[in-house]
This record gives sequence, C-alpha cells and structure tokens, in this order.
Amino acid sequence: MPANRGILACLITVVLAACLQPDNSILIGLAGPFSEPAGRSMRLGAELAVSEINERGGVRGRRLELLSYDDRGQAATAVQMARRFRDNNSVLAVVGHAQSITTMAAAPVYNSEPNPVVAISPSASSVDLRRAGPYNFRVCPDDVAHAQALAERARAQLGIRRVATLYHNDRDSRTYAAVFRRAFTELGGTLLAEDPFSLALPSFEPYLTRAATRGRVDGLLIIGGGTIIGPILAALDSLGSRSTILGNMDLLRHAQTVGRDLEGSLLSTAYLSERTAPENVAFVTAYLQAHGGQRPDQTAAGSYDIVHLLANAFENRGPDRASVRRYLSGVGTVTEPFEGATGSIAFDADGNVRRISVDVGLVREGTIVPLPER
Amino acid sequence: MKFKLNTLWMRIALSEASLVVGLIVVALIGITALSTVQDTVSTELASLTTVSEETNDFTAAVFEEMLAAEQYLVDGSTEARDRFLANGEIAYASQLRLAELPELTVADQASIQRIATLQSETEVLYSYAHAERDLNRRTRAEASAVVARARATELMRLVREYSVTQVTRARTTSGSLQQTAADRKLLVWAVLVASICIGTAIGVATLRSVERPMARLAAAAEHFGDGDLRPVSIGRLPEELAGLGGAMDKLGTTLRGLVAEVIAAAESITTTADELSTGSGQLATSAGEVSAAVLEISEGAHGQVESIEKSTTAAEQLVGAVTASGDASNRVVNLGGDIHRLAETYGRDVSAARESLLALGDVVQEAARQVDDLDRLSEPIYDFIDLIKRISSQTNLLALNAAIEAARAGERGVGFSVVAEEVRQLADSSSRAAEEVSGTIQTIRDHVAEMASTMSRGRSQVRGIGSVSEGAAKALEQIVQAVREVESEAKRVAGEATNNLNAVDEIKRELRSASEAAHSHAFASQDVAATVDQQGVSTQEVAARAAELSKVAERLQKLVGALRT
Repeated sequence: MPANRGILACLITVVLAACLQPDNSILIGLAGPFSEPAGRSMRLGAELAVSEINERGGVRGRRLELLSYDDRGQAATAVQMARRFRDNNSVLAVVGHAQSITTMAAAPVYNSEPNPVVAISPSASSVDLRRAGPYNFRVCPDDVAHAQALAERARAQLGIRRVATLYHNDRDSRTYAAVFRRAFTELGGTLLAEDPFSLALPSFEPYLTRAATRGRVDGLLIIGGGTIIGPILAALDSLGSRSTILGNMDLLRHAQTVGRDLEGSLLSTAYLSERTAPENVAFVTAYLQAHGGQRPDQTAAGSYDIVHLLANAFENRGPDRASVRRYLSGVGTVTEPFEGATGSIAFDADGNVRRISVDVGLVREGTIVPLPER
Repeated sequence: MKFKLNTLWMRIALSEASLVVGLIVVALIGITALSTVQDTVSTELASLTTVSEETNDFTAAVFEEMLAAEQYLVDGSTEARDRFLANGEIAYASQLRLAELPELTVADQASIQRIATLQSETEVLYSYAHAERDLNRRTRAEASAVVARARATELMRLVREYSVTQVTRARTTSGSLQQTAADRKLLVWAVLVASICIGTAIGVATLRSVERPMARLAAAAEHFGDGDLRPVSIGRLPEELAGLGGAMDKLGTTLRGLVAEVIAAAESITTTADELSTGSGQLATSAGEVSAAVLEISEGAHGQVESIEKSTTAAEQLVGAVTASGDASNRVVNLGGDIHRLAETYGRDVSAARESLLALGDVVQEAARQVDDLDRLSEPIYDFIDLIKRISSQTNLLALNAAIEAARAGERGVGFSVVAEEVRQLADSSSRAAEEVSGTIQTIRDHVAEMASTMSRGRSQVRGIGSVSEGAAKALEQIVQAVREVESEAKRVAGEATNNLNAVDEIKRELRSASEAAHSHAFASQDVAATVDQQGVSTQEVAARAAELSKVAERLQKLVGALRT
C-alpha cells in the first residue's frame, strides 16, 4: 500500500506540474519599470526575442516563457521582485533591471546563497555594479565610459571649452560628474560649476545664472534625472542661454515627452538603432515589424540580446541556474563573443561588457546622428 | 564479517557506538550551535559595528557638511565650500556602506533610501542657498537654508532611528540567539541523556547477557566441582559464551569418560596393589626366614668350626688304631663277602631247581587232570555211538520192511525197492561207521589210560625231585652254619677293634655333629635359596605389577594432558 500511495503521489505531482506548465517551458524573469517608456521598450525587445526563439523550436525542444514583474523604478520594489524571482526555482535567469538604482538594490538578492540566480541588465550603467556580485551582468557600457566618451567628443570634436554641470544628487551621477570633470579638464576644458539637483530644488535659475556669471557656458551637462529636463530647458530659455546640452539618450526621450526636441544637443548612448551591423539590422527590422514601426532603444536592444544570450546558455550548458552562470562568465573567453544588436558582447570578470563602445551624436530632427569616429 | 546481534562484541560495540554517536551528535549540535551563534554574533557585531561606525561617520559628515554650508552662507569662503563638498562625499560614502550591509530588510532599504533622499535634498537645498547667496539673494538663500535645516534635522532623526533600529534588531537577534542557544542546550542535554540511557541500557543488557550465562556456567562448574558430572543444561548463551558452554559440556563429557577410566584404572591399581601387598608380605616373610636361616647358618658355622677343631684332634689319636684294625676289618669283610656270594649262588640254584620242580609237578598235575577230563569226556561218545547204532538198526529194519513192501508192489514198487535198498545200505554204512568210531574211541581211551599211568609215574618222579630239593636245603643249612662261624670270626675281629671304640664313637659323634651342622647348614642354605627364589619370584611379580601400574599412570597422564589441551 505505501508503494502504491507513493506512485499515486508521484502521478499527481506530475499531473499538477503538467497543468501548471503545460508546455514544459523554460521560464525567464523580466523586471523593469514597465510603466515607463524604457521599461516598455525593454519588455518589447525581450518578447521579440522569445517569439523568435520559440518560432524556431525553442531551446532543446522547450519553449521560452517570460515572467514579468514591474519594479516601478524603485529600489524597494526591485528588491521584492528580485526575491520572488530568486525563490521561484522555475525562473532560470532574470532580464533586469533597467536602472542602476533598482539593479544595485536587487543585486544582493540575486547573489544570495544558496540559490542565486543570474540577473542581466540591459541598461544599468552604475559604476558600482562592477562589485555587485558574480551573478550580475550587463550588456551596456557603464557611466565611466559614457562620461569619458562625452567629455572627449565635446571637447575634441565640438570644441566646447567651458561646461556647467547639473547632476542629480545621487551617487551614480556624482561619480559620472567626477569622471567627466577629470576627463574634460584633462582635455583642457573648464568646469564653471557643478551643482546638484533633486525634486526638492525650487529652480535651476540660480545655478544657471551663477554659472553664467563665471563665464560663457559652452555646454550644460545634465547628469541623471531626465525627468527634470523640462524645468532646466525652461530656465535656459528664460535666461536666453544657448548652451549645448550635454547628456545621455534619456534626456532626449524625456524632452520629447514634454514636447522639446533638444536639437543640437550632444548625447551619448550605448545603442543606436541605426547601427549597420547585420545583427542590429535584423533586430531593428524585426522590431519595427513587431511593434508598428516603433524604433527600438537601448533597453529594447539590450533585453533582446540578453534573451538570445540566455537561449544560447540553455542550449549549450543546460537549463539550470548554475549552468547559465558558468556559460555567461565564459562568453568572450571560453566561447566566442556574442554578436548581438547592441554589439559584440564579451564579459569581463566583473560581468561588464568589454567591447561595446559608447556612441556620441548630435540630435538632429529628433534623432541622434553619431559623430564620425576620430 | 557477519554481524550478529547475539554476540558480546556486537552488543558492546553497539553500546559504545550509541555513546560515541550520541557524543558526536552532541558535539555536532554544540559545534553547530556555537558556530551559528559565533557566525550570527560575528555578523551582527560586524553589522552593528558598521552601522555604528557608518552612522557616526555619516552623522558627523552631515553635521560637518551642515556647518560648512552654514559657514559658506555666512562668509562665502572657498574653504567652507570645499569642506561642504568634501563632507558631502564622505556622507555619501557612508550612506553607500550602510546600504550595502547584508540582509537588509525592506524597512532598512526604505530607511536608507529615505536617508539618501533627505541627504540629497539637504545638500541640494544648501547648494541652492549657496547659489542664491553667491547671487547676493540673501533672503532667498536664507529661506532655502531654513528648508535645508529642516531636512537636515529630519535626516539626523532618521539616522538615529536607523541606528536604534539596528540596535533593536541586534537585541532581537541576541534574544533569538539566546533562545536558540537554550533550545540547543536542551537538545544537547536530551541527546546526551538519551545516549547515556541507550548506552547504559545496552550495557546493562550486555552485562546481564554475560552475567546470567556466566552464573549458569559457574553453577555447572560447581556442579562438576561437587562431583556431580551428570550433564547440565546451561541454556541459550551469547556466541562467545556459547563456545564456553560447549567447552563445559565437552568438559563434563571428558570428565565423565575420564572418571570412568580412572575408576577402572583404580580398580586395576587396587588389584595390583593387593597383589603387590601379598607379594610384599611374602617378601617380608621370606626376609624373616632368610634372617633366621642366616642366623642358624652363622651358629652352625661356629659349631662346625669347633667340631672340626675337635675332630682334628680325635682324628690324630685314631690314626694308629684305625690303621691296625683296618687290615682285620678288610679281611673279615673279604671273607664275609666270599661266603655271602657262595651262599647266595647256592641259594639261587637251589631255589631255581626247586621252583622248576614245583612247576614241573604243577604241569604234571595239570596234564593228569586234562587226561582225566579226556577220559571223562569220551564217555558221551559211546552213548552217541549207541544211538547211531540204534538208528542204523531201526533204519535197516525199516529198509527191509520197505523192500518187502516194494516187492509186494511189484513193478510199481521197483523204484521204491531201489530206494529202500539204498537206505538199508546207508543204515549199514552208518552202523559200520559207528562200529569204527567205537573202536577208535576205545583205542583213544586205551592211550589215555596209558597216559594216565605214565602221568602217575611222572608224579612219583617229581616227588623224588622234591626230596632232592630238601637235601639241597639241608646243604644250605650247613652253609648257614658256616657263615655263623664266619660271624664269630668277625666278632672276634670286632673284639679287636673294641680298643678303638671310644675314639671311634667320639669321632662318630663329632662327625655326626659336624654332619648335623652341615645338614643344618645345608637345610638353612636351602631355605635361604628357597627364600631367595621366593623373593626373586615375588620381586618379579612386584616388577610386573609395577610395570602395570606404570602403564596405568601413563594413561592417567595422557588423560590429564588431554584435559589441559
């Protein structure tokens, strides 16, 4: 009788498992601010990749499936979502998070023993992510790369000499500002001011006015906090400033949301959909077809590449968390670099990409036109 | 190796193993508990230390930052500005380290986020105030500073709260650790007591499993010790003691066999001992006899010595007398011998003749008697002859009558007349034969009568020979007379020897004494020899019994040797 009961229990378990996952699919977590534009494009890019992989037969005969949690761009929520992913053994890897603050907050959870799980961010650029843990990877350059590229291009190609910096008063932005300061001043540039801002700031006018009193402001570097681009532009407008806006791609997206075009601004980005690499062309083509002509951004391309990278890991090492970790750590060293939409992905010991360069371009008619390579 | 529970080794091993396992479990629990407590305490201490240090640094940095910010508002000095920025960096570094503390709760994350936001806003507000101040907008600067101070105050409060929260968490952890330690302590005691109980129980069971069988074995041994070698039931034993029980059974069996053999051997020894005792008695008796005989021999030897000394003296005295009477004695002896031989020769001749005559007389008498018997026996022959004569006569008559009758019958009787004639002839022949026999018999009787007369004559002659024998007897008488004369002559010779009679007697007595002594010595020597022989026989018997005893002893030794092995 006990043997019969055991067999019956096994049968019931199998049936229930089959009911819960009827297609025996491989589950991938997806975490991002889906209520925001970056989060939405991130989901679209991931879904496109899953669709492509499943259409060609899945991985080892199993379909891929996404399990999405919205971290709302908040650290605390990101931690909670990370725990849910970590504690769900069916989730073999996580695509996320999109922002540095959420990625950094969730990193300890993903790296916690005894059941860590890989989390690959498409766009978290915080320098601190280098020491987040062995289970954290990203497919984008960090803030140092952005700051250095922007400083070099601004100083060398646009001849910008004096820059005032407005930085969101958080650690990453302060680090970015420090890197830019060092790189820009080394190139002979001058920083007229470095002023912090936050949502508590009443107005940018005093900062901008004071900077102007110190000299002609060739460029205004805005670091972080893209949502405040509107008040900054308003302050500039009120002051009649013609400073070139320096910053990253987020500024353009946020500006566009408030009806501004940031024409002539010099922005850095880890990804440009206009790249002509065949992997990117294919991705963009597919993305355009899938999403009604909407062009993909960095988070879309990054999540797209991440899902394909994970599929390779499942295919080559088996669908389990440890195997995924081992496979990813060897990409670019043990295995060939992964040629994706975002570029040639090869991880270093800290889980950072080594070969993907930062594109810097001027905004022309709502898009970024890359500056020619020097 | 097979593991059997019914072995002392396994039971003791189980007992030891349970204790060891129990101790290991206790040790593991203790070590685990200590490690847990140590790790937790270490982590908590490190966390508390970090929290404390970072909180202090953060608070100090924020405080310095505020002082610098306020100072910059007053004097606008670069030093104040630099100090403001520098302490801002320090405060951010501290904030980051606080955020990186392990195992932060959601509340901790929210607190740190709130602290970071407040710090950021405080700095932004002070920076904003500084900008206003730089633009000589004092009022706006002061207004922003007021807001900044409020945020700073709130920031300080949050930092203190966070610190208190961490301390509280540490206390909670400490309490939890204490509870864990108490639980582990209880568990350790429980496991320890259980291990001791199990070990003790197994130990007691093992002891009993040893003690009871040992008691049974001891009882069996006492049984044997009391001399009762009957088989004893020992019962079920542990494997190791089962061998001992088997050995005990084997011991009993061996002892029983041994005792049986010992009894037999003892009987044999007893018999042998009896025989040995008898032999020894005989030996003792023989020894006594030997002793007496030896004494007698000793005494006799002394007497012999004395007698021999005396005989030597008497012999010297008798030399002369013996020499003188020796010749006479020899002559007498010779004469007597001659006479005796002559008399004996005559005597034997006479006796032989007489016996021959007597025997002849007997033969003659026997012959006469046989002749008489022959004559007497010939009488019935006459009667028989007469009978035959009468028969022949009657037969002749009958034959004659038959011839008459045959004649009468004529020719028919011719044959019959022939037969009658033949019968008549036969009768005549018989009559003639009878007559011839009668004449022969008469002749024989005549010869017998003649022989009888001859025998009578012979008997007379024998009588004459008897008289001759008598004459010879008389002659012998004469001879005897002559011998008597010789004897007288011998007496005379004896008279001549009378002179030496005393000396001779003396010598005779001495010699007799010596002879007796010698006999005594001889008898004693014989006794001694017999006794010695007897002793020899006894000694051989004793040796034989001793050999038998030796064999019995060897068998006993072998049996004892077998018991040792």
